[in-house]
Amino acid sequence: MIWFVGRRFGTDRRPFLFYSVPVHFLRCVLAEWALVRPRLLRTRFGAWLTLLGAALIWLGLRGADPLGVALDAGALGAVLSAAFVAGSAADRAAFAITLTHPTTPLAVACGRWLATVLPTAALTGACTIAVGGHVPAAVAGIVAGSAVAGCALAAVLLAGTGAALVLFICMALAGAVPPEAIVGVAEPGAARLAVASILELGPALWRYREVATGDIGALMHAGAWAGLGTVLASGLVRRAARLAS
Amino acid sequence: MTDYALTLDEVCCPPALDLVSLALLPGEIIGIVGPSGAGKTTLLRVAAGLVAPERGTVRCDVAGYAPEAPVFPPALTAREVLAYYARFHTTGRARRALVHDALELAGLAPAADTRAAALGRADLHRLALAQAVLGGRRVLLLDETLSGLDPLARRDLCARVAHLAATGVAVLLAARDLGALERVGGRVLVLRGGRVVRAGPLVALLAERVLEVILDTPPPEPPPGFRITAAGIEAPLAGRTPEAALALCRAHRLAVRASRVRVKSLEEIVLDAHDTAPR
Repeated sequence: MIWFVGRRFGTDRRPFLFYSVPVHFLRCVLAEWALVRPRLLRTRFGAWLTLLGAALIWLGLRGADPLGVALDAGALGAVLSAAFVAGSAADRAAFAITLTHPTTPLAVACGRWLATVLPTAALTGACTIAVGGHVPAAVAGIVAGSAVAGCALAAVLLAGTGAALVLFICMALAGAVPPEAIVGVAEPGAARLAVASILELGPALWRYREVATGDIGALMHAGAWAGLGTVLASGLVRRAARLAS
Repeated sequence: MTDYALTLDEVCCPPALDLVSLALLPGEIIGIVGPSGAGKTTLLRVAAGLVAPERGTVRCDVAGYAPEAPVFPPALTAREVLAYYARFHTTGRARRALVHDALELAGLAPAADTRAAALGRADLHRLALAQAVLGGRRVLLLDETLSGLDPLARRDLCARVAHLAATGVAVLLAARDLGALERVGGRVLVLRGGRVVRAGPLVALLAERVLEVILDTPPPEPPPGFRITAAGIEAPLAGRTPEAALALCRAHRLAVRASRVRVKSLEEIVLDAHDTAPR
């Protein structure tokens, strides 16, 4: 379908500008998808995703909550994917050449976000099925993955794979902790309040758990993080290209 | 009215460029030379639209840019890199044709299935050239694409750039390697401190002649206009005859063993322009 529309309204013939611009944008977004398969097969990306999936399935079979497994698969898979899709110094330097072609930083960022989310969604689906979870759990995991992908993409474009490691550890250890739990453990203080605020505002798993029950607020929170992360990432793509050229 | 492929009109981009103007015709090759920090790369980046000039105007057809140190997605092969960029230009069969043509134009077909991270310097520059020509771009901005290569690779890439120019593609080429520039011909711009200090067609620049005089013993002081070399002295003829220059040597009581007239090399022209231009 996209191929057909792209052919009809491609860059060579532009009968309707209204159609050709979004179709070209979509084509540029999908171009980033071409980068995923070689990475899955030729780098450690595929191995790490498999390892993560195996670990989560093992936890699920040992009695972990299937919804929790799906959320972890989404969030941790998204951080891992972001690191391999855009985290290396070479990837960021390569934006300098990419932006001399007819694409835009926003299209590149959207494409990288998509390239981060799709392997994550596959991992989440596989983990949910393996631990006997249901569709709402898988949806919640994918929504969590989409939100974390936006945040992780911006983080790795800003600070490289080191940021992904920090985010991965934070998500694994404190991702599912609700802010009320932090507020309750100690006396009032700036640091405790800051941590609670991050858990409240950030893409945290305790919130996306509610997606499984159809909570609109949680969905909107995830959508906002996915959008904000992608817009931030587009600015960082432009910056990376400028620094590299 | 002349239909230029690229024009820069009094472009300022402090501190690298200061009032640089140039016009590039379709099919023309302009070589930009100058010492490190002269503004060559900034000039190309401004022309490519990667850097906005503080003042002046840039008009350019759709340009392909090959940076000095090109970096590509490392896990992809050369063919996949080009296919990735080609997706921005077109779809389906046309995309495959675009990739095939780019591989052929840059002479990269033998290394098409080698990963970008494993490519040698020459093939990396070929890949940079291939992605720059992708999509039938009519202006190529090549930053040191012909520099630092072995003689065979340089000759081959020079021939490919000259072939592209012969098909109407305008080429703006920054080069440290003056031998490569002498090979591709065209016009030469000498930059120093962000300003054009000398410009002209290569054939006109290389028409300048130098008189070399071999002496029995080196003189303590060369005659006016001459400089001391390893074998004696030499001077640009610059309008005077060889006989007049030799007469000047004899007037200074120099024992001339032999003399010959040769053309100035591009390196000498660039060094002269650098040394004599007002700072």
